[in-house]
Amino acid sequence: MKLIGENLNIMSIKYGAALKARDPKPLQELAIFQAKAGMDYVDLNIGPAGKTGVELMSWLVPVIEEVVDVPLALDTSNIKAIEAGLKACKKNKPLINSIMVRPERMEALLPLAAEYDAEFVGLLWGPEGMPRDENERGALCAELVFKATGEFGINPERIYVDPIQTPVNVQQIQIMSVLEFMKMFADIAPGCRSTIGLSNVSNGPPDHLRPILNQVMLIIHKRHGLFSAIVDCYDTKLHEIARGKHPNLEALVHKVEDGQAIDMNPLTDEERQFVKTAKVILGQSLYSDSWLQI
Amino acid sequence: MTFQPSKQVYSGKIREVTLGIGDKAVTIGGKGVFSFHSFEGSIPNPPRIAMEVWDKDPSEDWSAAAKAPFSDVLSDPAAWARKCVDAYGAEIIVVQTKSADPNGDNRAAAEVAATVKKVVDAVDVPVIVWGVANHEKDVDVLKQVAENCSGKRAALCPVEEGDYKQIGAACLGYKQVAVASSPIDVNLAKQLNILLGNLGVSQDDLIIDPTTGGLGYGLEYTYSVMERIVQAALTQEDDKLQQPIIANVANETWKCKESNLSAEDAPELGDPTKRGVLMEAITAVDLLIAGADVVVMRHPEAVKLVKKYIAKMM
Repeated sequence: MKLIGENLNIMSIKYGAALKARDPKPLQELAIFQAKAGMDYVDLNIGPAGKTGVELMSWLVPVIEEVVDVPLALDTSNIKAIEAGLKACKKNKPLINSIMVRPERMEALLPLAAEYDAEFVGLLWGPEGMPRDENERGALCAELVFKATGEFGINPERIYVDPIQTPVNVQQIQIMSVLEFMKMFADIAPGCRSTIGLSNVSNGPPDHLRPILNQVMLIIHKRHGLFSAIVDCYDTKLHEIARGKHPNLEALVHKVEDGQAIDMNPLTDEERQFVKTAKVILGQSLYSDSWLQI
Repeated sequence: MTFQPSKQVYSGKIREVTLGIGDKAVTIGGKGVFSFHSFEGSIPNPPRIAMEVWDKDPSEDWSAAAKAPFSDVLSDPAAWARKCVDAYGAEIIVVQTKSADPNGDNRAAAEVAATVKKVVDAVDVPVIVWGVANHEKDVDVLKQVAENCSGKRAALCPVEEGDYKQIGAACLGYKQVAVASSPIDVNLAKQLNILLGNLGVSQDDLIIDPTTGGLGYGLEYTYSVMERIVQAALTQEDDKLQQPIIANVANETWKCKESNLSAEDAPELGDPTKRGVLMEAITAVDLLIAGADVVVMRHPEAVKLVKKYIAKMM
């Protein structure tokens, strides 16, 4: 699985401050860390960045490219800032993160993706907001791919469809819909790639419990063929899972997904936690903040 | 061929919780099927209607329609409670401790608890004491209530994430029933029950209040969450959610605009009494279908309608 490091983010206290102060050092250190941690892309999330977006992205891209060789993901809703980032990237072709399936976003951004031969994340967020189920996801996906490949001649391999990760504690049912969508994905969008903002699954639960939710969710996505994920660059275990280094944990989570009976007695504490977490993510038991304790 | 309803097999059931003591104690919960699905399994206890009294004269806040049946007792909570039992057949009384509200009368906890005690002593049916959802004040009031009403198996509400340790401890110490209240969210309802369990509150002494939205004001959210709780309890054997559910109906439905507009203000909305009564009765019936085991009601006509409904459905 390809991993996109999410941590260079305007919402972060440390890096947000560095972005505002145009202080390159902490940002470069983070980028170097991400490259060493094996991130395949470094995401540059500058937020909506109203008036300053163009200037900020034009400043940030060379700052990061100076210290790492990995490609960058340009993450902002500011179209002009995306264009500035595309112009500024010299080392690699970047990934546009993201293009929603809304006419005005597609009309503005797909030509840029084509012009700069950039990859892009196609976020399945339509004119009416988040899709309600797998069928609406399918319809949005088909619309996006049809337009991008047909109208703009973009190669399907350049498209990373993002079916939208929701938090387990409020929208568990939408997780199931994403998994159902992934079963149809190869037929709906042949040749296209996929990605997801993984950490959103644990947005809300206590901070110290976020990693295991992210890790189990990744195992499940991996089984459903997810090509890449936008992830926490500090979660080493998560990266190991993505690289297939924990086949036993993966097999255990698959068993839960398949509804097989699991004898908890011989399992290690960690394995038990993976079983319990898989059950809440898959809706076999209802999430609560104390799910690991019961 | 005769009609065969398709039947669901349930793997869990709701626990029974007993409120009050003696002959008039009331046991709620116990169902092993969705509400009124008696064709699928056992419903040992019918859902109950609790009638509310306020611990202060509500004349300023209430519409004429709501005041009319109680005009002789509104300033005397104990007499009001007796009237609910004697004249309207209330099987449970809820005391709303409105006078304690720090944004209102802000009466001292001792005074509030003394009024509650008078109500508890005036009736032989179980009493549920409902606070004002202000953590600090509810802790003060409900701790004293718990002590004053020792041995009565009263229920204390709302026990929320922000005050469950104190009020939960009072329930434990004086053997009262805790009503765990969460903001229309099934996951938070479960979490609060886990926390109360960790504190030592027995599942025999625990009721869920998922927070009520009235008709037109969020009823569908409460409906969904209640349904989800019951579903988890019955079909997913979710041990932490197998508790009876209470809905504080009247308090929500009678404060909304539609229940209070007079005939002159809103001629197009029809008779104001009938309107308020129906807003209350419909909300109650909906939540009974969703899974409530107790609905808290106000108007005797609405109570009558809902009782009739329950009798027909059981």
